[in-house]
Amino acid sequence: MKKFYLMLVLLIGMAVLAACSSGDEEASEGSGSEGSSDVDSITIWAWDPAFNIAALEKAKEAYDGDGEYEVDVIENAQDDIIQKLNTGLSSGTTNGMPNIVLIEDYRAQSFLQAYPDAFHPLTDVINSDDFAEYKIATTSFEDEQYGLPFDSGVAALYVRTDYLEEAGYTVEDVTNITWDEYIEIGKDVKEATGKNMLTLDPNDLAPVRMMIQTNGSWYVDEDGSTPNLADNESLEKAFETYKKMMDADIAKIVSDWSQFVGAFNSGDVASVPTGNWITPSVKQAADQSGNWAVVPMPRLDMEGAVNASNLGGSSWYVLNVDGKEQAADFMLNTFGSNPDLYQTLVKEIGALGTYSPAAEGDAYAVEDEFFGGQQLITDLSAWTDEIPAVNYGLHTYAIEDILVTGMQDYLNGAELTTVLENVQGQAEAQLK
Amino acid sequence: MSQHSTKKGELDFPVRLRDKETKRQKTGVYFKRKVGWLFVIVSIIAITIFNFYPMVQAFLLSFQSGMGANLEYVGFDNWRRLFGDPTFIAALTNTSIYLLIQVPLMIVLALFFSVLLNDPKLKFRGFFRIAIFLPCVTSLVAYSVVFKYLFGIDGIVNLFLLNFGFISETINFLADPVWAKVVIILAITWRWTGYNMIFYLAALQNVDKSIYEAARIDGANSIQQFFQITVPMLKPIILFTSITSTIGTLQIFDEIVNITNGGPGNATISISQYIYNLSFEYTPDFGYASTVSYVIVILVIILSIIQFRVAGEKK
Repeated sequence: MKKFYLMLVLLIGMAVLAACSSGDEEASEGSGSEGSSDVDSITIWAWDPAFNIAALEKAKEAYDGDGEYEVDVIENAQDDIIQKLNTGLSSGTTNGMPNIVLIEDYRAQSFLQAYPDAFHPLTDVINSDDFAEYKIATTSFEDEQYGLPFDSGVAALYVRTDYLEEAGYTVEDVTNITWDEYIEIGKDVKEATGKNMLTLDPNDLAPVRMMIQTNGSWYVDEDGSTPNLADNESLEKAFETYKKMMDADIAKIVSDWSQFVGAFNSGDVASVPTGNWITPSVKQAADQSGNWAVVPMPRLDMEGAVNASNLGGSSWYVLNVDGKEQAADFMLNTFGSNPDLYQTLVKEIGALGTYSPAAEGDAYAVEDEFFGGQQLITDLSAWTDEIPAVNYGLHTYAIEDILVTGMQDYLNGAELTTVLENVQGQAEAQLK
Repeated sequence: MSQHSTKKGELDFPVRLRDKETKRQKTGVYFKRKVGWLFVIVSIIAITIFNFYPMVQAFLLSFQSGMGANLEYVGFDNWRRLFGDPTFIAALTNTSIYLLIQVPLMIVLALFFSVLLNDPKLKFRGFFRIAIFLPCVTSLVAYSVVFKYLFGIDGIVNLFLLNFGFISETINFLADPVWAKVVIILAITWRWTGYNMIFYLAALQNVDKSIYEAARIDGANSIQQFFQITVPMLKPIILFTSITSTIGTLQIFDEIVNITNGGPGNATISISQYIYNLSFEYTPDFGYASTVSYVIVILVIILSIIQFRVAGEKK
């Protein structure tokens, strides 16, 4: 009996240890923090080889400063980067940390506030006026600019022109509309073609996020931490709109990314409202070339809402470790001041940055045959500048998990005000 | 005596060898004990550094709270917060449901299969044994993804049910709070039944055949043999498998994350996934996360004690 308890304690101990140890293992590679402040090589962590890593490789080629150091680009999954940063920074050691890291905008504030002094401010390095305004709000903290804004998450409505035509609509009819108008068109499209208007994933409230940002609203107040759910008219309206789409039966329900992509690749839906980074996935279905158009995001039917929003997007951060000056130098002489680099990114990778001076380049004006000759990048770039700036704050994903449950209740018939008061209470209890 | 330094013991030994018989025997015992300690001391030190020290630290951490590196002691606030946290309560409820349904189901199935496969007259015994054991060697992530697609809205399960007329329209298994739990339970059962079956098969090899023979002569049918002989003989193994399965199910993580990611809503979230979310998905609060971890520790201890009492290993 006694032996068993000892075994048990050991087992538990092992379990706890296993839970704690994952994440640090590979952290030993990369920059050193000993010795002088200058280093021979700087390390960069990022995810997505087809997009961010490819962009870094182009940046290495385009570097035109006079710093002498190697640049090591290390690819990790985003989840792994988050884990490594969290475990590394909270342990208080800078050993094994990279010099530059890519962080998703929704998470940026939580890193900046959870680990003060861990990041090196770029306020005096880059000119923040050169970048889209909405990116600056999410990448700065307490009057210091920390992030170098990278890709635009400008949201757009991708539509199937052939389906619209069949239902008696033109591209103009879906340009700069409200979500209510969108639903009406969706009903007609479904009647005429039998196709659903869009896909919805009950576990992913991205549409709600995009809707409320058209009106400059977010899950939290401007302080970035007080939940703003119960008396948030934009959120209320977004919930109502979401339910209307469900009730109108114009949405195909999906439960993961591959089903989502599969739905529009196979021609099952007539439109895709999402971030512009979906362009390469839409183009995968080469046989649909010429049948697509991209129009601004529908807005909430409210005073002050605009036809521009954002979904996702990330930025570069320099860590406060040895080599930070060099890392800042690398960032400045690539993404921070080189419009030509952004032309390359658009042409060869399809990555749309948020560096405003780049918008005048030739690559931005290219007409895209897949989208019927539309100057897609120019359009997206123009919409990027109109995105209402909001402070994403600390709790986007925590609140969203609470909201998903609330949305289920609401769709199942609960009173909206009650639902929102409930989620407000839960969020206040959970987020301290 | 264990406190004696080993060096001293070694020096003493040759001198004492020449002593009287009884004393020499006694010293021999001491010496053996010291050498024994020498062997285990390495693992004891390693376990202390790598197991007990982190456990104590995690326990201290569970009384702190704050964002990332800004932790401060908050006393019992985390524990108070725990009981008013609807997500934690949902995670605890889900995990308990998995536990209460899945563990008994799996134990009974494993027992059933092992008895069937222990029958020497059965043909292709090796094939069946391998077939049932094979799921255990598959990667957790890989089989979870397969299950996700099997039960997808246009997955093979829906197609099968539809084509054979069991249902009139497809069921979105993973978007329905009840069905999603059923899928999770099916998945874990499929993965782990064979693993437990191997323990029973091994134990059955040690059951004396003459007991069954005697039972048959006395007129016991096979059902009576199963309940009167097999089950009592396997009792220690049943206890062992139910404890390991309980611990395993309490820590369930991979299947949930890959099949449903906790959804729809919070309908399938497990305690481990909630710990992960608190640490890495949301703004990190490692203090509160370790409070939730300690709930698992406490649950494992309580449940194991109960299982011991019920299974009745008499002291």
